[in-house]
Amino acid sequence: MASFKINGEQVDVDVSPETPLLWVIREHLKLTGTKFGCGLAQCGACNVHLNGDVIYACVSPVSIVEGQEVTTIEGLSEDDDHPLQKAWIAEEVPQCGYCQSGQIMRAANLLENNSDPSREEIVAHMNTNLCRCGTYPRIVKAIQLAAKGEA
Amino acid sequence: MTTLHKSKSSEQTTTPALTRRDFLNRSAGVTFMIGAGGVISACSSEDAATSTAPPVVSSNSYTPNIWVTIFPDNTVEIKYSGTEMGQGSSTHTPMILAEYLDVDWQNVKVDTMTTHDQRYGNPFFQNNLYTAGSTMIMVFSEKMKVAGVQARKFLLYAVAEDWGVPVNELTTDLGVVSHAASARTISYGDIVATLSLPTEVAELEESDYIPAAEFRYIGKDLIRDDVADKSTGKAHYGMDVQVEGMSYAAVVRAPVEDETALSVDDAEALAVQGVTNIINMGHMIAIVGDSVEATKWGKAKLNISWSETSRFRQSESQATLEQYKKAATDLTISGPVWNETGDVKQALDSADQIVDALYTSEPVYHAQMEPLNATAHVADDGLSAEIWVGTQTQSLSVLGAAETLGTTIDKITLHPLTMGGGFGRRSTLHQQYIDDALLISRALKRPIKVIWSREDDMESGLFRTATAQYMRAGFDADGNLTAMHHRVSAPNNLPTMNPLRWADAAPKDVITMLGSESTTYDIPNHQAEHVVQEREARVCAWRGVGTSYTKFAVECFIDELAEHLELDPMEYRLQLCHNNSRMSNVLNELKAMSAWGEATVPEGRARGVAISGYSRSLSAGVVEISLEPSTGKITVHKVWAVGEAGLIVAPKNATAQLEGNIIFGLSSVLRERITIEAGVVQQANFNTYPILRMSEVPELDCKVLLTEHPSSGCGELGLAMIGPAIANALVDLTGKRIRHLPLTPEIVKAKLNA
Ligand code: FES
Ligand code: FES
Repeated sequence: MASFKINGEQVDVDVSPETPLLWVIREHLKLTGTKFGCGLAQCGACNVHLNGDVIYACVSPVSIVEGQEVTTIEGLSEDDDHPLQKAWIAEEVPQCGYCQSGQIMRAANLLENNSDPSREEIVAHMNTNLCRCGTYPRIVKAIQLAAKGEA
Repeated sequence: MTTLHKSKSSEQTTTPALTRRDFLNRSAGVTFMIGAGGVISACSSEDAATSTAPPVVSSNSYTPNIWVTIFPDNTVEIKYSGTEMGQGSSTHTPMILAEYLDVDWQNVKVDTMTTHDQRYGNPFFQNNLYTAGSTMIMVFSEKMKVAGVQARKFLLYAVAEDWGVPVNELTTDLGVVSHAASARTISYGDIVATLSLPTEVAELEESDYIPAAEFRYIGKDLIRDDVADKSTGKAHYGMDVQVEGMSYAAVVRAPVEDETALSVDDAEALAVQGVTNIINMGHMIAIVGDSVEATKWGKAKLNISWSETSRFRQSESQATLEQYKKAATDLTISGPVWNETGDVKQALDSADQIVDALYTSEPVYHAQMEPLNATAHVADDGLSAEIWVGTQTQSLSVLGAAETLGTTIDKITLHPLTMGGGFGRRSTLHQQYIDDALLISRALKRPIKVIWSREDDMESGLFRTATAQYMRAGFDADGNLTAMHHRVSAPNNLPTMNPLRWADAAPKDVITMLGSESTTYDIPNHQAEHVVQEREARVCAWRGVGTSYTKFAVECFIDELAEHLELDPMEYRLQLCHNNSRMSNVLNELKAMSAWGEATVPEGRARGVAISGYSRSLSAGVVEISLEPSTGKITVHKVWAVGEAGLIVAPKNATAQLEGNIIFGLSSVLRERITIEAGVVQQANFNTYPILRMSEVPELDCKVLLTEHPSSGCGELGLAMIGPAIANALVDLTGKRIRHLPLTPEIVKAKLNA
């Protein structure tokens, strides 16, 4: 049994402690916005927040979040109106979209710690997250837009 | 049959005589046939032979043609026969119909089709529902236009008759018909609900078409419909499917193609809590359980002994390349001619000088971000099924599934879902992940969700084939390029990808050969020849199909010819394109943007240029690179790119497609390489098969030209020019030409030191 808070809600899930958090979130809790891309901490598609830090849910056993607070894309904002989400739409960032939950969660963590990142800081922070469709330039633009509060 | 001339496009479109009864009886309207050269001509619905759907006129809806239905509450449903993988055509194709019908996009519901129905098919792909090759806008823009105009005309006739006013005094505005003289208005919904619809309307005339100056949607950059859900985690991919009562399955395939599992020791795997079944299907072993994690843990505990008889055990990447190279240069071996102009043999025989070069390319992997997966529920009788999957082709998914179950397509219910990338990987007749789900579900009589690991996806990948390409060019005594012979030594793709298409296309394999035809340069004698090789790996269409290597050979070779003639490569291309005004425009724009020949290139850097084209769409690019000689690492600092794809429905999205295509190309050229040893793929995940990351993306200066040529698709504008442009720049930088893809650091270092 694992017990933790996800998107503000307390959950108890009947899984063994070594179960990757990713599958707990996606298949046990049916919060499918968080994606599986590699299972190896290589792509960032599974990025979620643990107490505000970014983690790779695919390689995080659920035991490490016991009693902690996890946030997924579904819990990032009340009405899907996080400045980054608005900027993502305004810049029409997603193509296939599969990487974008992870990208947004990663970017949100950046803006929480640095409200006005330089281009270099954005690239350094986002470099962990792959996008096969090549939306990288738009991701940078959207983060800059959100940081400026103009989305 | 009448002919309609439209001012805004250079082509002629023929529509069937538009009496309503005729139209209703043959309601597929116009079918466009596309020839090898990409030219659209039109034939009537009778010629299409598949268009017999009766209209649906009922008290609660009106379906004037097969593409659109209008409801009393003013909602409009438009059919979309493709699928969506981020290219945007699920928005932009129906949007064209909405434009010409003159309705509010907010009231439009796009209905993605879920089964095989040739009336809606893509003529590029045997009228199958098939989303590939950047063809959706090219194929369907005219159909959408005509369907929208026809539907609007029926509504106008209904109003004219009811109000007793001339139809030409009526106007429309976002789903409302007005008669200014009598100050009356009526909504499309009310027309459908209250008026009787006419039995005939006059033929379509130019005045029926909304003029470009009044467009509300085309060219206006409305945000794609799929973007919001993809920014909030709500988009629904195959990976996200949940079906009542389903079990999960992981699979194991033989490390070498064609081997079978002789025995499986599953005792430990079955002991894993949550694992319920292990099924040895011979070609694959299924691990079924209550949770994803159980299937993964169970899979790790299997002991399998595989047969060792497959011919693919002999497959070695380097040996394959050597074999392909040998065949490419052995002119006693001939093969199917893909494309031909003039008499290349005679021209080469009589040439004053001949230049030749041999190029090679290694396999690459699709790396769509969503690992392959499918969910299926086969009924207890084993003969009908429901399938949830991200697919590039509703038609082939249904046809392939029916074949697998030995049933008919009417027994297959398909739910095509958003794809986390396609790039050709999901375009085959038999999609193994679908077959996996079907076979396991049939065996266990319950819904099964099969999820491939990234390792499964890569190790069992269907790759862009290895190739060797031998280029020969002939010049006359004045240095005029009189002949080019392009020999592509590579296996066929279609026989394994899509045997149904191969049956029609053989021996011409478009997947292998595309891009080797000469369309932009003025070369009087040209031949593209396919030197057919044995397949030494699984192969499949990969983004841009053959163009990523054929254009590499052509565009490197053009630079070599320019060097031979001591001409600037940009100027030489402009010279060779003198007959092609569209390509000349693209090149001139690129030349200006990049200040080619004028800008001062920083010390330690060099530039290269290449052009590319994909069906009727054209592009060209300049790259600026530097090299770290100790490691062989190429850094691309800047890319200038110009694309031209005719009328653009969504310019901002078109530019994003061009950018994404360039980044995909950079990734494949600088980072990606699949190698095979003793039949085993040596890469397994993104740590051994790195793809481009954000820090490696150069400054991009991309421009998509806005023209009034027929729309021709923006999905493949940039990729193919990247490889040759980099290789060309490398010559300028080092004096050495590397005639090989990819240009990973190890390869560049080895070749420069060779
Ligand atoms: S799925 Fe976790 S990093 Fe790729
Ligand atoms: S949008 Fe497709 S992988 Fe990023």
